[in-house]
Amino acid sequence: MGERPVDRDTVSEIQEFMFREALALDERRFRDWLAMLTDDIRYEAPLRVIREGLAVWDLSPTSRIFDDDRQTLEVRIQRLETDFAWAEQPPSQTRHFVTNVLVDPGDNPDEYKVHSNCFIYRSRGTSPTPSLYSLSRKDVVRRTEDGWRLARRWAAFDQALINAHNLSILI
Amino acid sequence: MNTKPESQSLAAWVEETREGIDSGRFPARAFNDQAVYDLEQERLFSKTWCFLAHESEIPHPGDYVTRYIGNNNLIVARDEHGEIHASLNMCRHRGNVMCKAEMGNASHFRCSYHGWTYKNSGELVGVPYMKEGYEGRLKRKDWGLVRVRVDSYEGLVFGCLDPEAPPLDEYLGGFQFYLDLYLKHGLGGVEVHGPPDHWIADTDWKICTENFAGDGYHTPVAHQWGFHLGYFPSSGSTHSQGWAVSIPGKGHGIGLGHGPNFPPFGGFPDDLVAEMKQSLSPEQVAVFSRTRTAVGSVFPNLSFLMQPFSLEPGEIGVRFVTMRLYHPVGPGRMEMYSWCLVPKNASQEYKKEAYRAYTLAFGQAGTFEQDDFENWTKVTQAAGMTMVRDVDFPYIMGMDSAPDPEFPGPGHAVVPYVNDTNFRNLWSRWADYLAGEA
Ligand code: FES
Ligand SMILES: [Fe+2]
Repeated sequence: MGERPVDRDTVSEIQEFMFREALALDERRFRDWLAMLTDDIRYEAPLRVIREGLAVWDLSPTSRIFDDDRQTLEVRIQRLETDFAWAEQPPSQTRHFVTNVLVDPGDNPDEYKVHSNCFIYRSRGTSPTPSLYSLSRKDVVRRTEDGWRLARRWAAFDQALINAHNLSILI
Repeated sequence: MNTKPESQSLAAWVEETREGIDSGRFPARAFNDQAVYDLEQERLFSKTWCFLAHESEIPHPGDYVTRYIGNNNLIVARDEHGEIHASLNMCRHRGNVMCKAEMGNASHFRCSYHGWTYKNSGELVGVPYMKEGYEGRLKRKDWGLVRVRVDSYEGLVFGCLDPEAPPLDEYLGGFQFYLDLYLKHGLGGVEVHGPPDHWIADTDWKICTENFAGDGYHTPVAHQWGFHLGYFPSSGSTHSQGWAVSIPGKGHGIGLGHGPNFPPFGGFPDDLVAEMKQSLSPEQVAVFSRTRTAVGSVFPNLSFLMQPFSLEPGEIGVRFVTMRLYHPVGPGRMEMYSWCLVPKNASQEYKKEAYRAYTLAFGQAGTFEQDDFENWTKVTQAAGMTMVRDVDFPYIMGMDSAPDPEFPGPGHAVVPYVNDTNFRNLWSRWADYLAGEA
């Protein structure tokens, strides 16, 4: 942090990109969402394990809830486009609240590290009890000729025992 | 709908259920009912061998995980000599929880209330104010953590709360032959890829046990998207082919789906296949060679699945193995643990590929798992309706099928794979326990 500050315009462009990405998910415009990802996207959600405070890790180095790349994300979206994605039939209502966006320089000049908090509200069918997920995201966005693209999504749930029968949504 | 007197006792209901199973009926109420849940806690989980951990989760001295049998929270730890112990996660002084983490490494546990200290194997070794307070009246050896019997098979560690229960080998009763199909992937066996995915669902644990005891019937519909897009190497027309094998009187069952166009050992790297042919017996090799999908449950709440998955429609892809534990936490409510097992001797690339296929298909975000849990929570919800209290489900597939005389493995093997035979065996074992006659 702080090697070279990221200029205001870039920060606000990136912030807007993050918000538009969240909107595409919430509006179930999955093809638009895929178009916002780089071809070499890494999409991961590490598994949280309750450990003692001094433990070396509490996010598993090997276990993932999502362990995806472009190819597997395409499979997920293709699936949602069939009539047989029962988990999303009828679809979940989601709202991604993206806050605390902090932008730092990335590992190469076109890339930026974006830290954000993401709170997801998800309701299913007539159930009066929504699922609520709180996540810490450490993403990478890349400036390309066609605009901003998400190159990495890394999102850690703030809960080890997740309180929902499935995770049929994107984070 | 037949009407039963309100006062019908639970014992009578269990007896009626046992009779029903023999004629291919099982009551929906079993899947969401407080009284049934309580009886399971009291009579079933207190007597069966229950899965605790895979040895590779606690490979080093001091490693521990916390797990459950019924509603009992246990510490499963490897001591300084490498031996695995299970103890109730409760201080013997006033009952504080000893270990609040899900996993870790510790040679000793020190209670955060008054400071009693135990070895990870459960022996009490430290008591503050021993002399001043207890004046020599406290014998440390009498106040260790409450011990739980453990035994293991091929890396699977089980615990049993009943000191009188028969040994694990006898409990598994020949199902080891089928467990090997998941566990002997090469001469090094298998290991967990990492800690289990863990979530909570409004689903009755028994629905999962039944599904994984060989419900080949649901696959072409519940997972239709996979067939439709070609990611699942089977087609609706051949999907019913295969064996359903159960261990009579034990409750365990496995479905072995054939793949007429699926090559023997397809989806495994060649060097591993060579090792598998050594680690498995000729009879196991004969079964494995014809098996595309193997989906089995160890009674009561542990399951395995081996399945090929290809990211290129039409190709064989990789075969991954998932192991899952259904921990009941209330009527119609459970905690799910889902692991991916990988062959120890496989290359890093193969492990990575298998894990990627596993997470795409299983675990809470898995595209197959998502649909299963959607169905299972709905089944559970329905089972809780009052009208459903007198509704039975049909379990009559394969009622009269004779066992396949050619089948080389133990137990009762029938064809086709789409069958209720395993489930009748599962439910009659379950009912034996509930009747107190296991
Ligand atoms: S409760 Fe553990 S030392 Fe008192
Ligand atoms: Fe399924």
